[in-house]
Amino acid sequence: MVKSTSKEAHALFHSLRSAYAATPTNLKIIDLYVVFSVFTALIQVVYMAIVGSFPFNSFLSGVLSCIGTAVLAVCLRIQVNKENKEFKDLPPERAFADFVLCNLVLHLVIMNFLG
Amino acid sequence: MSKLLIFLTLIPLLPILTTSFSPENPSSRRVLVLLDDLALKSSHSVFFNSLQSRGFDLDFKLADDPKIGLHRYGQYLYDALILFCPTTERFGGSIDLAAILDFVDSGHDLIIAADSNASDLIREIATESGVDFDEDPAALVIDHISYAVSNTEGDHTLIASDEYIKSDVILGSKKIEAPVLFQGIGHSLNPSNSLVLKVLSASPSAYSSNPKSKLSNPPSLTGSAISLVSIVQARNNARILISGSLSMFSNRFFRSEVQKAGSPTKHEKSGNEQFLTELSKWVFHERGHLKAMNVRHHKAGEADEPTIYRVNDDLEYSVEIYEWSGTSWEPYVADDVQVQFYMMSPYVLKNLSTDKKGSYFTAFKVPDVYGVFQFKVEYRRLGYTSLSLSKQIPVRPFKHNEYERFIPAAYPYYGAAFSMMTGFFIFTAVHLYSK
Repeated sequence: MVKSTSKEAHALFHSLRSAYAATPTNLKIIDLYVVFSVFTALIQVVYMAIVGSFPFNSFLSGVLSCIGTAVLAVCLRIQVNKENKEFKDLPPERAFADFVLCNLVLHLVIMNFLG
Repeated sequence: MSKLLIFLTLIPLLPILTTSFSPENPSSRRVLVLLDDLALKSSHSVFFNSLQSRGFDLDFKLADDPKIGLHRYGQYLYDALILFCPTTERFGGSIDLAAILDFVDSGHDLIIAADSNASDLIREIATESGVDFDEDPAALVIDHISYAVSNTEGDHTLIASDEYIKSDVILGSKKIEAPVLFQGIGHSLNPSNSLVLKVLSASPSAYSSNPKSKLSNPPSLTGSAISLVSIVQARNNARILISGSLSMFSNRFFRSEVQKAGSPTKHEKSGNEQFLTELSKWVFHERGHLKAMNVRHHKAGEADEPTIYRVNDDLEYSVEIYEWSGTSWEPYVADDVQVQFYMMSPYVLKNLSTDKKGSYFTAFKVPDVYGVFQFKVEYRRLGYTSLSLSKQIPVRPFKHNEYERFIPAAYPYYGAAFSMMTGFFIFTAVHLYSK
């Protein structure tokens, strides 16, 4: 039973990996970018747990800048994915322009809230 | 023209300059003495002479003199009143119960001596002051244990008492060795009046009754509850002395030798003179009268008084307190003066340290709370006039530019925000050129 479960899990993992290998490169780059920002957010949460929440506004802006970036990157990924038929009318250039504009607004707010 | 102007502006100030205890010129004080009989002037001359030698200007009048009055044209003519007229039913002139109460209410001092057969008027004045004399008009304080020994075996109404209040400011620092002779009526303190104090109380074996009749009912006043001499300091610092005996002020009692029953020591001279002289010094503000001046506060390291403080400022507070000694203002030395930094409740309560020259000072940190605060000194001690000082000062929070610009603890957050921006920049480049 145990053996079969681990075998199934292994098979599942393997199929996921092979399916992901077929993902276009530009989407993989976005995924890497999302992982990077979520990882940075986690580091800050751990740091806050150790040091304390004293400059709480700085903590919030540091973490929210990471989370915001990740959310915006995920949105971009959805919109530029060729297999997603929902946004087939939206050109990827337009999606990227939205992404850049939203990032500019996000970082403007973060800089104001940071100090 | 300018001189006339100065004169005109000074006229409204005149009543202020002449009423009650004047802190600047307390030595020339006028006292009205009301007597039943002008013979008292010579029979009680030692007491009066001690007052006159201390600079008091005594004005002796018969209590029913039709020309007497306490004030004229809205000004008080006297600074203090001595009532040595226990049997007077009504005063002459414009003086009555209400006038005497107004006199005390405006900060003037009063000495009342009652005696057996005290009139209703004197009893009413005493009642208004917070003490109640024994209602039986023939009653005297009797003590069969601590009476004063005399040649003839009397009715034990001449009492030798040495149960004084324990207060150096009221009775002076010198101990009164000989007992005080007392012959007169007792009174009890009104329990609802917190300002009245027993200075000389009767011994536990005393009681108040008519010495000529047989004691049929239990006496209404007994033991240490009987006060022989009481004092009051009103909230406006007016002082009142109430005694149940007029003869205790007399030359005969002052000079008399005294031996308390059951005690082997015979004193050459009774304690009356010392007791009443010291007590009259207290009543006439020659002792225990405090004044505070030069209240100052400033930030630590600065000299000027600011109009506003910031939270967490370090500040220094100082005040000078002096006591009137009868001739000059002497530095007041105590270690229990406290200052409060007060807004609805005291946020800071600190003992002031003194340099023994009258100056009191302390330093503290403004609490981390902003609002309108007060520096408060509320000093009330037995026998001293009460001091109540307050000075208002606002406290503001930090200004925007007074915060720290960069906090070391927040550097990781700054780093994260900037790495996100760099990451965005690199990602943009990679995303655009990875086609």
